[in-house]
Amino acid sequence: MEKITLASQLLQYFITGLTVGSVYAMVAVGFNIIYNVTEIINFAQGEFVMLGGLIMVFLHVAMGLSLILAFPATIVLVTLIGILIDRLAIRPIRCPSVLTLIIATIAVSIIIKGTASFIWGKNPFDLPAFSGRNPINILGAVIQPQYFWVIGFLVVTAVALSIFFDRTIMGKAMSACADNPNAASLVGINVKQMVLLSFALSAAIGAVAGITITPISLMEYDRGAMLAVKGFGAAILGGLGSFPGAILGGLIMGSIESFGAGLISSGYKDAFALIVLLVILFFKPSGLMGSVEISRIKRF
Amino acid sequence: MLRIDGLNASYGSIRVLKDVSIQVPAGNVVSIIGANGAGKSTLLKSISGIMKINGGRILYKERNIAGMRTNQIVRLGVSHVPEGRQIFAHLTVCDNINLGAYHYFKRSNRLEIKERMTRVYHMFPILEKRSKQIAGTLSGGEQQMLAIGRALMGRPELLLLDEPSMGIAPLVVREIFNVIKQLNQSGVTVLLVEQNAKAAIKVAHNSYVLERGEIVLEGSSAELLNNPKVKEHYLGG
Repeated sequence: MEKITLASQLLQYFITGLTVGSVYAMVAVGFNIIYNVTEIINFAQGEFVMLGGLIMVFLHVAMGLSLILAFPATIVLVTLIGILIDRLAIRPIRCPSVLTLIIATIAVSIIIKGTASFIWGKNPFDLPAFSGRNPINILGAVIQPQYFWVIGFLVVTAVALSIFFDRTIMGKAMSACADNPNAASLVGINVKQMVLLSFALSAAIGAVAGITITPISLMEYDRGAMLAVKGFGAAILGGLGSFPGAILGGLIMGSIESFGAGLISSGYKDAFALIVLLVILFFKPSGLMGSVEISRIKRF
Repeated sequence: MLRIDGLNASYGSIRVLKDVSIQVPAGNVVSIIGANGAGKSTLLKSISGIMKINGGRILYKERNIAGMRTNQIVRLGVSHVPEGRQIFAHLTVCDNINLGAYHYFKRSNRLEIKERMTRVYHMFPILEKRSKQIAGTLSGGEQQMLAIGRALMGRPELLLLDEPSMGIAPLVVREIFNVIKQLNQSGVTVLLVEQNAKAAIKVAHNSYVLERGEIVLEGSSAELLNNPKVKEHYLGG
């Protein structure tokens, strides 16, 4: 038996933190996509993650679909659910204010959670890890290969999204909708289509997060709400609307949680994230990477 | 180019436009003057499709566009510069201008977009200097120029301008009216809504006076400038 040193333990906490943080980051990115287009905070964001995990379990474990097929199929299904949310819960609301829409998303998250508990029951489900569960030993820290999958997918989504929003006219058009929907339609942007696209995109990203984290932490029907709160915390920490900020915020949030649980007490694991959220809201509401210049002219 | 027949529009139970009929011949500048709340902006919003109308026809190039969606009307060549500018405040000046070309933004149109952009920057050199700046940080006059520039990117044949002089320094107002004249000379038809009646009538070939949702007067610039009623109510005696 190898001796566990403090250094190797800290490394262990750090890597665990990055992995958990990657999931928070993906949730935060999902928040930002919808926020950037509609100024809505979609509180059903965590449910996309939960659905991603559970649908993957259903397709891969219960139906026996191979990983390569089940992975995209799950993303497609969750994306469809995202589209349905927009069609059934967001679009039909008359004279919507941002606040009513946010409340609608809370309602949606409750409905999804209820339906999931009806379909899957209340027990957590496991998913086989993508490349086995033989831990890798790095400098005394024990790391599951799945950790790399989680972090890897975060990197891929982050790069793809920043290219989409910063370099393509479609991405710019999506931000224009958030800024001023009337003016956006005056330059020929179909605002409703963009809102739909934003829900689809963030559902897809939520699904990716859920699929990759389930082999590590299992998944059950009521995980969504906590993930949404932490992802929201990460988005605020990084600056609402900023993608680099969301990723940084997620990783910091995950690390704080992991170090806090390891060094202080795992019982307060969830409290750490919420304390960070409150501190940020008190002292720097524009977040770490949010532009003060922009946050000053934002309405919400 | 544009003919409106018996247009009615209302906010809830309040009728804002009552049987408004106007004509905008191709190549002209037509202005609509009137006091606050006369329904001028509502008229433009009805044309560009932001406002749902209750009755009447809006014929653009002999085609009824009433009831069409805003993002489709733009494609036909009707660009609306809304009241209060309404630029994309969080995006850069350059992004705002590019988005003006959104409805035909394709690789194959790259050259046209570049050429139009050069023309906009030539018209408003200050925008080129500020192209990397966040649009919300521009001054009122610069934002107005940006809003017009963005509309010009959209291949307009008919430009709807809503109070371009509102809240802007007099010198900049003159610059903007010069631009309107230039644009018209380059072949763009303009429908201008203004409270600054004198400037509007002068730049226009033909003007209408809108009062409480009804057209009460119509005439050429010379006629209106000498009309005692217009003089008293709109030109300050």
